[in-house]
Amino acid sequence: MEAKPSNLVDQLVVPGDVILDLSNMANQTLKLSGGLRQDGDSICVMKAGKLRFMKPNKYWVESSQKRYVPSAGDNVLGVVVDTKPENFLVDIKGPALAFLPVLSFEGGTRRNIPKFEVGTLLYVSVVSANPGMNPELSCMDVNGKAAEYGVLKEEGYMFESSTGLARSLLSSPPHPVLEGLGKKLSFEIAVGINGRFWVNALQSSTVILVGNAIQKSESLSLVQQKIYLEKLLKSIHSRGCKTSDQ
Amino acid sequence: MTVNEKKFIESALLSDIRVDGRRPFDYRNLTIRFGSEDGSAEVQLGQTQVIGFVTGQLSQPYRDRPNEGSFAIYTEFSPMADPSFEPGRPGETAIELGRIVDRGLRESRAVDTESLCVIAGKLVWSIRIDLHIIDNGGNLVDAANIAALAALSTFRRPECTLGGEDGQELIVHPPDEREPLSLILHHFPVAVTFGFIGKENTVVIDPTHYEEAVMGGSMTATLNTNGDVCAIQKAGGDAVSQTVIMQCLRIASVKAGDITSKIKDAVESYNTQRSLRKIKRHNPDQQGSSDVAKRHMERLTVGSDQSGIASQFNEHDKTNKRNSTLKGFSGGPASWDPYSKGVDGDALRTSLASRVAPVDKQKEESSQVNPETKSNPKSSETNSIALTHEVGLERKQSKSLKDAVKPKHKRRNKSNAS
Repeated sequence: MEAKPSNLVDQLVVPGDVILDLSNMANQTLKLSGGLRQDGDSICVMKAGKLRFMKPNKYWVESSQKRYVPSAGDNVLGVVVDTKPENFLVDIKGPALAFLPVLSFEGGTRRNIPKFEVGTLLYVSVVSANPGMNPELSCMDVNGKAAEYGVLKEEGYMFESSTGLARSLLSSPPHPVLEGLGKKLSFEIAVGINGRFWVNALQSSTVILVGNAIQKSESLSLVQQKIYLEKLLKSIHSRGCKTSDQ
Repeated sequence: MTVNEKKFIESALLSDIRVDGRRPFDYRNLTIRFGSEDGSAEVQLGQTQVIGFVTGQLSQPYRDRPNEGSFAIYTEFSPMADPSFEPGRPGETAIELGRIVDRGLRESRAVDTESLCVIAGKLVWSIRIDLHIIDNGGNLVDAANIAALAALSTFRRPECTLGGEDGQELIVHPPDEREPLSLILHHFPVAVTFGFIGKENTVVIDPTHYEEAVMGGSMTATLNTNGDVCAIQKAGGDAVSQTVIMQCLRIASVKAGDITSKIKDAVESYNTQRSLRKIKRHNPDQQGSSDVAKRHMERLTVGSDQSGIASQFNEHDKTNKRNSTLKGFSGGPASWDPYSKGVDGDALRTSLASRVAPVDKQKEESSQVNPETKSNPKSSETNSIALTHEVGLERKQSKSLKDAVKPKHKRRNKSNAS
């Protein structure tokens, strides 16, 4: 039995808004995720953002911050800060440094511990993130395979973004600017949900263009993004010979 | 800082581009805004934000320079600006920044200190420039320098004349009597910072936060539009050849011209706005100015009596709150009071205590108790601006003035008797 979802789905909500009154609904299980709280008979909002709903019964509030709160299952971009005998200390833009056990690599044994220097960029997965403790990372997926995790190439540049932009870059349908640029230029991109994304291309100018375009498009609405993308592509096209030759 | 970032910044510079899309010798967007008070400026250079605030105070000159005023620069690196800034005593970079800005202004004699002299050997204006770093996006020196210049250009100090009965007393005119004067700046020394990145001595101008973390050395050149090099700072870092330095100086002089014209435009528009907002002035009577002068001399000489005044105020506060009406205003002591004969120090203090309305009395109180707060004109300015039309009204309509005086006069007798 499904009652209709809250009126405020996909709208901006602020702390204090009541999204559902439970007295009208009986025998229902709702799943409440981040930003929502049950207060007796009403579900109230705790964080400002957009209310989201997924069938059959999941509600959550999506907001965008500069800081990242680590949670298990996230794929993030980390920077090695220090090496210890047991773990690598990795900065994932959270409140505490995360530990990456030296054996959490595909085929990792005591004999072939990778050597990372300070400042190495890694694509890792968050295994556990309990509040108050340092998060734990891993460079393997659940099956023990490497699966794209590990060191990112030493080229390319890492840009910072907000968590909201990172989520939209990973969403489907894809981010319009990302998709549009991808059709014209060739580059590779790794997006961490902690607000970092890495771009690599053959030429530095492409990397800079893609990175800055994505960063700037965050504050634009969908329509404005399309206009921005068109302008950008035109200017690339007019410089077309230059970018393809070098 | 990742290995990728370092390598990328260097390799991109080989193709003459920087991470934010600028070319090596491009400055970021510069915005200069002014606050509501004269002498406050906020500069935004890309992500970097700096606030400059200029205040002035009368003080004794240095023994070896009896005819010159002085100025000092204080820097504050707010911990909000960067995770590495700690609150408390300024660190090395803060002191270095203050020194660079100071050297640019002092050695080149950009600020005319002789015009700050009021009474040679006794009283001069000492100017204080406060620079607050709000956001560190790289290249704090340039932004702080621009903020200092913009704030100095819009700062106004009250006009001082010698007058009074024997012509020896100093009268500091509040801004509603005489227009405050701006400082005399002979030229604008503009600081331009260069970063040296990589082994090939690639030079970038106006480095961002990331470029600063990667660069091997930096150099700041302070120049003006006349082509004078006011100061150069190169503290350690990679060695740089002489040709590169000469090239940097040439580029810096071009950039200094750009920045100077931007500052001047911003100051122009601020001044036109200010003159549109100007308060209408009227001539004070002779009595008024001398008593105002005495009030200011009181402030300058009152030292140990501060606690005494404060306690007096607290007593009279209660009586005033009960009796005063909104028509009562602050401002001068017995200047307009037709019942006052001569004014001596003690009577002045008690009359101030009883006469002043509670709102403004707190301002008076705070300004009297802390003589070193910003400046004398500032407190009188706030007083006068707050009650401008009331002052004007009171002065013009003398009849209603006497009516306003009477109840207060009775109160003064009461408090004097008690």
